[in-house]
Amino acid sequence: MTSKDLVLESAADRTSRFERDALVFMDQLYAAALRYTKNPEDARDLVQDTYLKAFTSFHQFEDGTNLRAWLYRVLTTTFINSYRKGQRQPQLAHNELEDWQVASAQSHTSDQGKSAEVEALENLPDSDIKRALQEIPEDFRIAVYLADVEGFSYKEIAEIVGTPAGTVMSRLHRGRKLLREKLAVYAAELGYGKEVEK
Amino acid sequence: MSHLESDQIPCVEVLTSVVFLIEDAVDQLPNAFALTNHLNTCPACQAEVAHEQAVKAMMQDVLRRSCDEKAPDDLHQSVQNLLSQHLEGGVSSVMTQFSMTEISIEIDEFGNVEHREVQIEQTHIAHFIDDDESGHN
Repeated sequence: MTSKDLVLESAADRTSRFERDALVFMDQLYAAALRYTKNPEDARDLVQDTYLKAFTSFHQFEDGTNLRAWLYRVLTTTFINSYRKGQRQPQLAHNELEDWQVASAQSHTSDQGKSAEVEALENLPDSDIKRALQEIPEDFRIAVYLADVEGFSYKEIAEIVGTPAGTVMSRLHRGRKLLREKLAVYAAELGYGKEVEK
Repeated sequence: MSHLESDQIPCVEVLTSVVFLIEDAVDQLPNAFALTNHLNTCPACQAEVAHEQAVKAMMQDVLRRSCDEKAPDDLHQSVQNLLSQHLEGGVSSVMTQFSMTEISIEIDEFGNVEHREVQIEQTHIAHFIDDDESGHN
């Protein structure tokens, strides 16, 4: 479909199409906004801003392509450009991301280590999972959230976040690793996996 | 075997590429062929990849279960109101266009990869009935 078709769509038709197709994602977008902003007030504002921006540029959206991915792109770009500018959070330098291989596993995990990790994941309460996710750096958190909660592929995430695919892989790798390390600490606090420590 | 054939790679190379394996992105790697060959013959690496896949799946279940908040009712309402205001305000004939240009440079020299990214944001207002639609995308 050419964009000219969309241009000729009446404002009323476009609005009802938007309401029908886009508003159904509000719960999902709100849950994502909560993870991004870490608080309900900012999450609400972010979702509102996202829908307003999405609505005003809806004519650019090509019918038949992935509306959910497009909405996440608007959400994520809005968050990165507006919300986090107000924060003092230091940003990760991009060249820092490329040395991920150095930080990754250099040897095989023991069977005990594997089963302890599985046990921890099976037993941790939701509150700890959310806490761990909150604590990992923002760029990693966004990548992990988009991949593991929303199920976007690394190529889709590269589009949504606006970074090269290699950067997405790096953030996914390090983000998941950090998340698992945090969950292992929580699990140990709750008494899981103690036998592994001897 | 004490030395590796030229097309063979050590376990550590597989382990550092695990994320590509579990994301089904091996084709993004220059050593994809050697990786696949190694995996076919190394039970320890197979176990590692299987574990990573299992943990990824479990993590997804746990995260999806934990992150399932519903948008509050009044948020639904205020978004609806926003859309109606936007229409009634007569601004429906104006389109705000957001665009982002990204320039990414990678220099690979003597095995060193440098990476730079530049992002340029643009916002421009266009009239809805204007035929001058810049055929972007």
